[in-house]
Amino acid sequence: MKKSIVIVSTLYGIGLILSLWLYNHKPIFIEDVGQLLPTKVKEIHSATSEAELQSLVKESINNNEKISVAGMQHSQGGQTYYPNGVVIDMKKYNKILDYNPHEKMITVQSGTTWEDIQQKINPDHLAIRVMQSQNIFTVGGSISVNAHGRDIRYGSLIDTVESFRLLTPQGDIINVSRTENSNLFPLVIGGYGLFGIILDVTMHLTDDELYQIRSRSIDYQDYPDYFTHDVKNNENIRMHIARLSVAPDSFLRDMYVTDYELTENQNNLANYSELKRDTLAAPQKFMLGLSRYSDWGKNLLWDMQNKLYVGQDGNYITRNNAMRGDSKFMEYDNPSKTEILQEYFVPIDEFSMYLDDLRSVLEKEELNLLNITVRYVNEDNEAVLSYAKEDMFALVLLINQGKNKKEIEKTKKVIQKMIDVTLQHDGSYYLPYYSYPTQAQMDEAYPKNKEFFEQKKQFDTNELFMNLFYKEYSQ
Amino acid sequence: MNFRKFLIAQSILIAASSVVFPFYLLLIKNVGDSYSQFGWAYGLFTLTAALTYPIIGRLGDRYGDKKMLLIYTLGMAAVMLLIPLLYEVWQVYMIQIMMGILGAIQKNTEKAFLARNNDNETAGERIGKYHLQISLWSGLGIILTGYLIDFLTIASLFYLISFVYIIASFVIIKRERI
Ligand SMILES: Cc1cc2nc3c(=O)[nH]c(=O)nc-3n(C[C@H](O)[C@H](O)[C@H](O)COP(=O)(O)OP(=O)(O)OC[C@H]3O[C@@H](n4cnc5c(N)ncnc54)[C@H](O)[C@@H]3O)c2cc1C
Repeated sequence: MKKSIVIVSTLYGIGLILSLWLYNHKPIFIEDVGQLLPTKVKEIHSATSEAELQSLVKESINNNEKISVAGMQHSQGGQTYYPNGVVIDMKKYNKILDYNPHEKMITVQSGTTWEDIQQKINPDHLAIRVMQSQNIFTVGGSISVNAHGRDIRYGSLIDTVESFRLLTPQGDIINVSRTENSNLFPLVIGGYGLFGIILDVTMHLTDDELYQIRSRSIDYQDYPDYFTHDVKNNENIRMHIARLSVAPDSFLRDMYVTDYELTENQNNLANYSELKRDTLAAPQKFMLGLSRYSDWGKNLLWDMQNKLYVGQDGNYITRNNAMRGDSKFMEYDNPSKTEILQEYFVPIDEFSMYLDDLRSVLEKEELNLLNITVRYVNEDNEAVLSYAKEDMFALVLLINQGKNKKEIEKTKKVIQKMIDVTLQHDGSYYLPYYSYPTQAQMDEAYPKNKEFFEQKKQFDTNELFMNLFYKEYSQ
Repeated sequence: MNFRKFLIAQSILIAASSVVFPFYLLLIKNVGDSYSQFGWAYGLFTLTAALTYPIIGRLGDRYGDKKMLLIYTLGMAAVMLLIPLLYEVWQVYMIQIMMGILGAIQKNTEKAFLARNNDNETAGERIGKYHLQISLWSGLGIILTGYLIDFLTIASLFYLISFVYIIASFVIIKRERI
């Protein structure tokens, strides 16, 4: 009996050690919200201090490893990882370092989310100048794509950034602003994590304001005029978003617009300034579900949304609350399908003709298009990879597709056609998404991409910072 | 093997499997990327169990319940060492087949052991008491996990439970002094 116990213990000990060893060498798979690029990486590290980040970078330099930087990983084309590379997860590097309400400035570590900042500044009736429509993203991830949102007065995110500190591919820490190391400023912003790790960022804030929502239906042909005359020219309209129908009955024709107009009496601000929470929005989720599966559902959703949003006409909302769009209702965990985004920019005066051409392409193709929102972006040539060559409308498309190779190929074909149409109308497309566009399309939409990648190679000679986006388009 | 020892061993085994079960489910769901794969993984488990029951029954009669239970315990200890290593679907299928066989051994041996007692008059009462104990332990196991998981990673939970199975095997091996 004793003998059996000894035998069992010995065998078990060997098994245990073997298992632990194998476990430590087990491949780690990572993917972003696009879910189309599961990739084997070497390690994932998260850090909470500058010293840790610096030693991680130095270690990777010594070991000849590749580094990718990750925030919330809401980019969709592998911008946050690289095969067998090290992923540095920034989410826990999220302290607010300095906040000066009088000067309306804030300095945060780059893993901080917009939500964290809103929580901090809302009591002082301050708000963020430029951010996405939702507040779930990290500051570092947003800056690295030079995000834009509903605000129509402050330009892109780059315009609101005063300075930041960068952990370089050599492992040094430098200040970057429009006056210090200024050549890096327009490269790192919109730089997709290829120039180093953004450590902390100093940004300008603005006042929280009380807006009245103005919402109405409009025909797509009247929209550019409406926007130019009634929105752009009216200084009091601070934010704007529009939606474009994907319902078969009114495909790419019917729209409704939502304007956020400054109210005359700002004294009521405090009554509305409690930050609203993301609701589960079960009805919205259900309707979106129906529209995934049928044209009938799409028509129904459009009618309902129309009533819902136009019904908000006249309501009051603060800037902070207008900048925390719901995101939960979009969560989707179908095991074999995923939902991806595309974003196309077109000059304002091309808009109606563009939609006519897009419609004739899409009428012949099979694409499960669930939603299109329209935003406005100001001309902005500061960032090297700038998408707004002039004042443009930005169309964000939500597409439901399968995850397998065949489905990816199918979607690719349609998306490349849509991008061709966009380019024909002097447009451009947004880079945080899946690598559907061809190299030729990239070259046309981003004429300075060669310069961008050239600068990257000069600054990071050993190509320490890598990701799948860089691999795809830098060759 | 006397009844008391059987009861202690079973209580440990049942509690251990209640602890890991929810996490195991989560794991096989994450490894596969479609519900049909999940269905296959689960179906394989049940099917292998079904096909092996007759053989296991006969082996139990020949070698005795104690040996069967020991095989189950050691087998599960080994499987728990493998689970943290899984990352591909075929590996999950293999584990499901092993678990199917082991599960069948456990279930069949449990019932055979309970049936081998010659107390036809009071069998109901005895089995009732047995189930009370077993269910209590399983309930405790499940509740405990809710707290444990805050302190452990899922992988270390499987290692811990593997160790528990080894302890159970010692209980079974030990001469009946209790
Ligand atoms: C549902 C949804 C809605 C969206 N809406 C909008 C919108 O309204 N407007 C808009 O402009 N965009 C929008 N986007 C795109 C979004 O802004 C980008 O994907 C953004 O990068 C997401 O931030 P993140 O924290 O997830 O960054 P990640 O996806 O984690 O990272 C993006 C890039 O930034 C780099 N990076 C991240 N942190 C750092 C750091 N600290 N230092 C250096 N590099 C870093 C990464 O390497 C990567 O290349 C949307 C995306 C989704 C999925």
